[in-house]
Amino acid sequence: MQLQRALTPGNKTDFLVEAAQTVSGLLLVGFLWTHMLFVASILLGIQAFDALAHFMERFRLLDLAVIFIILTVATHVGAVLRRIPGRWQEQKIVWKHAAIIRHPDTWSWLFQAVTGSAMLLLIIIHVFVVVYVGIDATLSADRVHSWMLGFYIVLLFLAEYHASVGLYRTLVKWGFVKRHSLKRVLTVITVCTIGLGLLSLWAFYSLGG
Amino acid sequence: MSQRQLTFHIFRYNPEEPDAKPRTQSYVLPEEPGMTLFIALNKIREEQDPTLKFDFVCRAGICGSCGMLINGKPTLACKTLTKDLPDRISLMPLPVFQLLGDLSVDTGTWFRHVSLRTEAWVHTEKRFDPMAEEERMSNDTALAIYEAERCIECGCCIGGCATANIKPGFIGAAGVNRVARFMVDPRDERSDQQYFDVVGSEDGIFGCIGLMACDDNCPIGIPLQGQLAYVRRKMAVAGWKR
Repeated sequence: MQLQRALTPGNKTDFLVEAAQTVSGLLLVGFLWTHMLFVASILLGIQAFDALAHFMERFRLLDLAVIFIILTVATHVGAVLRRIPGRWQEQKIVWKHAAIIRHPDTWSWLFQAVTGSAMLLLIIIHVFVVVYVGIDATLSADRVHSWMLGFYIVLLFLAEYHASVGLYRTLVKWGFVKRHSLKRVLTVITVCTIGLGLLSLWAFYSLGG
Repeated sequence: MSQRQLTFHIFRYNPEEPDAKPRTQSYVLPEEPGMTLFIALNKIREEQDPTLKFDFVCRAGICGSCGMLINGKPTLACKTLTKDLPDRISLMPLPVFQLLGDLSVDTGTWFRHVSLRTEAWVHTEKRFDPMAEEERMSNDTALAIYEAERCIECGCCIGGCATANIKPGFIGAAGVNRVARFMVDPRDERSDQQYFDVVGSEDGIFGCIGLMACDDNCPIGIPLQGQLAYVRRKMAVAGWKR
């Protein structure tokens, strides 16, 4: 026993931060998949998409979603920051380690950190655009006819990858599932959601600029 | 089938020579039928380089001394047949543990330290009565204890763990598995809150980030994912009630 430990007994903050990371992560996966389904309403036509968008604006659901995403992302980022090796020496160790042991799940964790960091920036831009411009099929069509098309494609891949690996890791850690069948199921879901996202982008693109 | 020539790329470093730098040395050896890395390394030491350091004791996958990175994979050298490996074989010592030289590391000090920190012994107030009949235990419980007890402390789960590589205080899968063993043992009277004090932190179960290299690499196949998840769930409940 040391003084600093004696002064901070029975600490459960490590558990609470882990819980915050897990819960916020699960909520974000749920949000992402719902979001992708809503965006895919463009496949049913402009009316369907605009009706859904106006419905969300009228009942303040859009504001709620924005507040939700800001709070949940902030919680998630705050919680997972402790996982990212902070010292340059530690960074070198983990990259070298992954390269030496050639273990796929170790690599996917490093990509998780990289995609997460990149997404933080992209999500901030994405939320700003939606809040300041609003949601409307023609606006979206205009946007995908600019450099923003690349932005959305990158964000789509990053988000789906990050969500899929994060969900896999959570379920594996809490142990309710068989790892290899879970990996297969999540790969299929990820391919489907990326496919749906790309189809939606294509639908907006074909609306013309 | 013609005889293969195996090329071993072996990590060489002696921490006691302050000027020496880590390097890789290559040795060529003709493969023999049924050759294990135990045989190969001993041949290299006997015929080519008596200075090469590595550890073996039982050469039967029981003592856990010969854990090393074989083509990157943390596993036991004595259980590894050369016929399952390509012509070029890289050998490195396990990370995390103190490097004694070349392929030899000190796992014992690390494991003793973890055993002390996790208080890996049965805690009970009962006085032992040598004349009394032994207390009964259900077969399922006994099997669950034996499953965890199978750990030979080779350190492959620790060497393969990214977290253990950067966090010196992390007890890793071997440490958590050790605690799980006492959690299922009805003779240990520790409460969940007492276990929480031992493993309910970043150095214990909540430091695990779920990469599962331990589960993938355990040479004797202890279901470490299940053990980690069991302790995690138990400690989450204890943490919630705290």
